[in-house]
Amino acid sequence: MALGWAGLYGPMALGAIGSMIGCSLAGQAAAGALLETETGHGRYIGISAMPSSQSIYGIVVMFALNRDITPENAPGLAGIGLLCGLALMFSAIYQGRSCASAINVSKIRPEIFGMSLAPAAIVEGFAVFAFIFALVISAGIPA
Amino acid sequence: MADYYTLVTCLPWLPEQMEKCTQLPLSRIALNRRLSMLNVEDQRRLAIAEALYHPTQTDTQPDRERVQLWQKQIAELPSIVLQDVITQRLEIQTLLAALRYRRRPNTSAEHFYGYGRWTEWIRHHWKEPLFALETQIDPLEHWGELFNNGHTGDLQFQMDRYFWQQLLAVERSHHFSVETVVSFVLRWGIAERRLKSDADAALADFQTLSDTLLHSSGIQQQLNSLFEDMNR
Repeated sequence: MALGWAGLYGPMALGAIGSMIGCSLAGQAAAGALLETETGHGRYIGISAMPSSQSIYGIVVMFALNRDITPENAPGLAGIGLLCGLALMFSAIYQGRSCASAINVSKIRPEIFGMSLAPAAIVEGFAVFAFIFALVISAGIPA
Repeated sequence: MADYYTLVTCLPWLPEQMEKCTQLPLSRIALNRRLSMLNVEDQRRLAIAEALYHPTQTDTQPDRERVQLWQKQIAELPSIVLQDVITQRLEIQTLLAALRYRRRPNTSAEHFYGYGRWTEWIRHHWKEPLFALETQIDPLEHWGELFNNGHTGDLQFQMDRYFWQQLLAVERSHHFSVETVVSFVLRWGIAERRLKSDADAALADFQTLSDTLLHSSGIQQQLNSLFEDMNR
């Protein structure tokens, strides 16, 4: 039963932890870039918020999994919730690192700003996979 | 080991090619202000790395003691990559010292003392033109030619360029770590030394030029006539 509750709240909590770390890493890089550049400050701050999307996915998965917890559905909730939460957490952390690198290189060559965001977008894609398939599979868990 | 996201992104850009660095992007005071983001231990290690990589001419310690001190200091550096970079710098310095030492009269291999894995090898291959180390360091043959022809300025330039590229490779292969910061600061040190020596050379050229002009006949005649007019 405890694992069931952990699975229910896991996507939200782990996604939020990942977003905190990811936004912090990208935000630190953005703060450094502000010191070194004269323009484009807004976009650096914008990029540093990119890893926050994993928290939103986590909230949606939590609501999709939300039901009365019974011994029958607890293992399913734990499996989907915790694994989805871990996927969201790691994707947010690594997206934060990708964003920090994007900020670092686009500070030197602003014209590659868009291209430098491609790694962060790809990482976001994997978070979306984890999110969508968690929603799909959650339909099979007994109510 | 700490990550330095803010510090790395607030460091200015240094060109990939050393020769394109015609001015320092910020002063040493401004750089130090940014480097204060390093934790105390990393600041101390950075100071050690800088002292080893950019040694001052005032060091009068005997060779043996100096080498022992270097070994102790290198062991304190935070990463193997930085240890390798600085070790290689000191080994090349040892190689250059051996070439210079060999040129002096009444010297022998037994009395030569240096740092690193090649010291014993150098003693064994004392009679070889480049101590049979051509296969170990790619540009050594070219450096040897410059050294033998007395082109010390060019030699220094080529060596600086070699170290610059080496540090750039370390900087690019480590992101937001102390290695990135130390490599940048060492590269900044190379640029600073080169630009300072350029300024010194420019000043020396100016002095020579002004001395030459002052001693040239035209100006001397004008000065003489001016003095004569004043005496009348």
